[in-house]
Amino acid sequence: MERSIAKDVGFYVMLGIGLVLMFIGPLIWDLFQIMQITQYVVLSVYALSLAYIWGFGGILSFGQAAFFGLGAYTFAVASINMGDTTLPFVLSFILPAAFGAGLGYFMFYGRLSEVYLGVVTMVVTLIFWKLINHTAGPEYSIGDARLGGFNGIPSIPILNVPGDPSAWLDPAQMFQVFMAILIIVYVVLRLIIASDFGRVSVGIRENEERSSLLGYDIRRHKVIVFAIGSGIAGMSGAMWATYQTFIDPNAFSMEMSAKALVWVMAGGIGTLAGPILAVVLLQWLSLKLGTMHILNNYVILGGIMMILVLLLPKGLLPTFQALSLRLWTIGKSKMKERTPKGKAASDV
Amino acid sequence: MSENYILTTENLTMRFGGVVAVDNVNFSLKEGELRCLLGPNGAGKSTFFKCLTGQLTPTSGSVKLRGQDITGWLTHDIVNQGVGIKTQVPNLFNGISVYENIRMAARRKHLKPMAREKAEEMMEKCGVTHLAKREVGLLAHGQRQLVELAMVLAEEPPLVLLDEPAAGMTGDERDRLADLVLETARKAAVIVVEHDMAFIRRIAKFTTVFNRGAIFREAMIDEIMSDRAVQEIYLGKQADVAA
Repeated sequence: MERSIAKDVGFYVMLGIGLVLMFIGPLIWDLFQIMQITQYVVLSVYALSLAYIWGFGGILSFGQAAFFGLGAYTFAVASINMGDTTLPFVLSFILPAAFGAGLGYFMFYGRLSEVYLGVVTMVVTLIFWKLINHTAGPEYSIGDARLGGFNGIPSIPILNVPGDPSAWLDPAQMFQVFMAILIIVYVVLRLIIASDFGRVSVGIRENEERSSLLGYDIRRHKVIVFAIGSGIAGMSGAMWATYQTFIDPNAFSMEMSAKALVWVMAGGIGTLAGPILAVVLLQWLSLKLGTMHILNNYVILGGIMMILVLLLPKGLLPTFQALSLRLWTIGKSKMKERTPKGKAASDV
Repeated sequence: MSENYILTTENLTMRFGGVVAVDNVNFSLKEGELRCLLGPNGAGKSTFFKCLTGQLTPTSGSVKLRGQDITGWLTHDIVNQGVGIKTQVPNLFNGISVYENIRMAARRKHLKPMAREKAEEMMEKCGVTHLAKREVGLLAHGQRQLVELAMVLAEEPPLVLLDEPAAGMTGDERDRLADLVLETARKAAVIVVEHDMAFIRRIAKFTTVFNRGAIFREAMIDEIMSDRAVQEIYLGKQADVAA
């Protein structure tokens, strides 16, 4: 169903690139580049959360931003109150994962169809967005942290060395830590996919009825997959909050949910590396277009998205893989043609 | 009910709006028994089958597995009680190979190395070893039926429910299937819902005939075949040809 890790060359290539960038990047990039690439890394973790639940669990969530925002606000509130950022960072995974498990329980045990699932996840995001937007007054405080309504929460602590709140990470260190998190998330997800649990998840995506006929409880499986994805989205929200030292209700926006869908679709559903590549490509493009002021950024990006969907419906990575395989096969057969059969050494 | 019954239904009824698809059916199957369910199209066989497998929740009445009430249970819970189910339309993981499909089923009961062996054994038994690496979605209907049967048998269930297993099969495939069903019936109780009379005659002993959602006759296959009332409702000329 899914290739075993031992035979997955692409996995090792991605891992290698990730490790090289993690160690070499800060040595060769300037501060602006480091900040920029850190942003790509954070958004890649966010993209992976949806890539996993959609591509390998068959759960199409229109509300991944709910968990992203929840993680961001959890981190912001907890770190402002605690000072140290280590536990808040852990909480930013646990709380969204628990919320995802609860929401998933009602959705999957209630046997919601795919369409209603999409609607419910989207509505939950909108509720969060609306709710947080209405928390502007001083009465909306949790401990020392004021939620701030549409103004958001400023002065969120920068990630510190565990146990030492005064030892903040500088941008290069933050990039390295975030890169390590991205690599860990990528490897862990790949291991999950290659495990029996992962194979069953993919089986459920392929054929729910057959999975059920084999005795697998598809509801329970989906809840677990959804909770894992929610936790990862929440963690990326925390990374976003500490990277910006600021968070506002836009973390819960439809735009944030839509972006994750676009990255996964453009990169290739059913791949982990594809959405990462899509994040880098589309975010970079967005930045370049933003500085050119030719046309509204979103109009151009929307156009690119439509072209991608029409011309590369399987996404960037699967198309690239298919193309490479084809070129390899053609090259191999041409090599064979050039080698004359049965020619004696003396003839050469 | 006597405890040597593996499966029983009591007053099982399934209504779809005003239509009664299964009407007050009292059915029982002994441990290790092979039972064929016959009936014309729309007789309620498949609906009855789906009530047994949890794919449908009956409107009233009960289904008991070894005396335990499983009415309204979900399919995976019923399967986990030791029931192997082959659906009317082959239900497979189309994107992967024959071997991977069967191994996934075997993995439910066996550890990894054993599952591999079991999958190979079932492929051999069902005559699909030569298709091991083929993608299931590309197979012919009869081959898909055999793959699904191999998946069901790989779990070694004590109760096997087969809905139209011979549909779309070639003569050779049907013969192999008949042998497989007879062999399975030596170790497990089996219910076969089927239309194919040539196949039925090869495997059937005690047989239940459905008509209009209810049990019409229950008797040995020879009696059924010579029963004029049964011939009238269902067999017609087929019975004469088959005889």
